[in-house]
Amino acid sequence: MRIRLSQLTKTYKGGVHALKGIDLDVPTGMYGLLGSNGAGKTTLMRILAGLLRPTSGTVLLGGHDVTTKEGRLAVQRTLGYLPQDLGVYPDLTARQFLDYIALLKGIDERSARRRRIGELLEVVALTEHADRKLKGYSGGMLRRVGIAQALLNDPRLLIVDEPTTGLDPEERIRFRTLLSRLAGERTVLLSTHIVEDVAQTCRYLAVLAKGRLVFQGDVGALVAAAHRQVWTVTTSGAAPSTGRIVAALPHGSGMRYRVVAPVPPDPSARPAEPTLEDGYLALMEAAAPV
Amino acid sequence: MIATLRYEFLMQIRRPVMWIVYGLTFVVLVATMWPGYRTLDLGLGDGHDPKAAMLASARLTMSLLAIVYGCLLADRLIRDRRLGIATILEAAPCSAAGRLVGKYLGVCAATAVPIALVFFGRAVVYTFTEGKVETLAWSLAVFATVILPGLIFLGALALAGPLLMPPLPFRVLFVAYWFWGNLIPADMMPTLSHTIFAATGDYAAYGLFDRARPDAVVYGWPDAALNFLRPAATPAVAVLWMGVMVALAAAILLLTRLHAARSES
Ligand SMILES: Nc1ncnc2c1ncn2[C@@H]1O[C@H](COP(=O)(O)OP(=O)(O)OP(=O)(O)O)[C@@H](O)[C@H]1O
Ligand SMILES: [Mg+2]
Repeated sequence: MRIRLSQLTKTYKGGVHALKGIDLDVPTGMYGLLGSNGAGKTTLMRILAGLLRPTSGTVLLGGHDVTTKEGRLAVQRTLGYLPQDLGVYPDLTARQFLDYIALLKGIDERSARRRRIGELLEVVALTEHADRKLKGYSGGMLRRVGIAQALLNDPRLLIVDEPTTGLDPEERIRFRTLLSRLAGERTVLLSTHIVEDVAQTCRYLAVLAKGRLVFQGDVGALVAAAHRQVWTVTTSGAAPSTGRIVAALPHGSGMRYRVVAPVPPDPSARPAEPTLEDGYLALMEAAAPV
Repeated sequence: MIATLRYEFLMQIRRPVMWIVYGLTFVVLVATMWPGYRTLDLGLGDGHDPKAAMLASARLTMSLLAIVYGCLLADRLIRDRRLGIATILEAAPCSAAGRLVGKYLGVCAATAVPIALVFFGRAVVYTFTEGKVETLAWSLAVFATVILPGLIFLGALALAGPLLMPPLPFRVLFVAYWFWGNLIPADMMPTLSHTIFAATGDYAAYGLFDRARPDAVVYGWPDAALNFLRPAATPAVAVLWMGVMVALAAAILLLTRLHAARSES
């Protein structure tokens, strides 16, 4: 499902400008949305899910305008949404919880519901825990219940808001692999502030900073944003004072720093090969220098 | 709506705390209302008349259990947001009004189950001890007209109230409201007690079942404030009272829906 946003703005009641004139075009497949805390990722996703009304601008999902009631229902029928602060009813089992959400999503036929829930419990590897109450679930298991509920209606658009935060490394890798397996025909919009998650799963991404879209394009282009801006400085003296230090490792009797900066931070600085994270940081540096 | 009704009912009826609180309150009820609760005679000597006995049972049952009913409902509506589950529910392609009504019907029904058990349980016991089968018919009629309209209104009130304040102070206020607006004599202070807005079901008891009051007044207190809200209890006024209860519940739910719609954006 194609997402087209134009001149999208959102101003909260207290006067917080959470989104400022976003123009964005999201194709099918896995799409990353990067941004630091408070950048506006959740706001954007809530608008896409029809939970929040934009202040101005247009939002078209597969040709439907989510700001109208019909458009919102049409989108929500093919939407799966995993919110950032996902909650569940602690006294229900995973199977009951999924059954409830499936009913809300309009899967009325009992046998179809049962079959679908069974399949999804397999997909997220929770079959053997399915009849335990959710209050006994770990954070990672809850996240998997969350993705299962999002998938119940076989959505064409899957929105996942920082799904890997708080997961241990193994669980995190398993989760993002699951997400990219799910992409295929769907649009999967993944928001995160963990650059690595995007680097490992997405070809295309957008970067939000303080409510503005500061980048959209493929991963290579973001890496290129840090071209000639990444340096290593090996010194036994003080740390470089300009640019952003992204790594510091002991090296012999001194330290080796990895620095993102538009100009060499030190006469001895040597250019280094940029990564996606460097690209992201270079962009942040340009958007709001520290 | 049906899905929400079903699961809200299920989640409430399985709450151990609900059964514990009702159980303890029932013990208190029996202890403080003894021997009235045994004879079902509130001083008129009509404890052997099934109709009068069922009306007395309804009054005694509601006097304390209505408090439990309100307090147990207080956290149900705001819980979705607290648990962080509201987002998922709102992202589902179904109407928010339908979910609200489903929740209201589901949790209120579940929370009313113990009250029904107590009331009908007492009716069954009475049927055997007095050997009067017609008791069961009277108990159904009394439950539907005296108890149910009150529960319909109190349920909406207790669900929506905590949108304005946290559940704990709301519960305290609810208890105070119950005594002030329903139980105290009308001439004690200006009160909603015994008015058409009281939830105790007196209007139905007096208007539909021509139950007599101890002081033989059909209805009303000669010198109480707000007496214009206390028309004489006739069958028509009893029906009006039921309408008022249902209308108040509907109005509260409507306000709740508007409140939610406003805070959505
Ligand atoms: N309901 C709200 N009312 C007022 N301001 C809000 C509301 N929700 C978010 N904001 C503000 O809008 C801005 C964007 O918030 P948002 O939650 O979209 O960011 P985010 O990118 O998801 O951040 P995070 O990575 O911390 O989840 C922030 O400044 C935040 O304080
Ligand atoms: Mg967020």
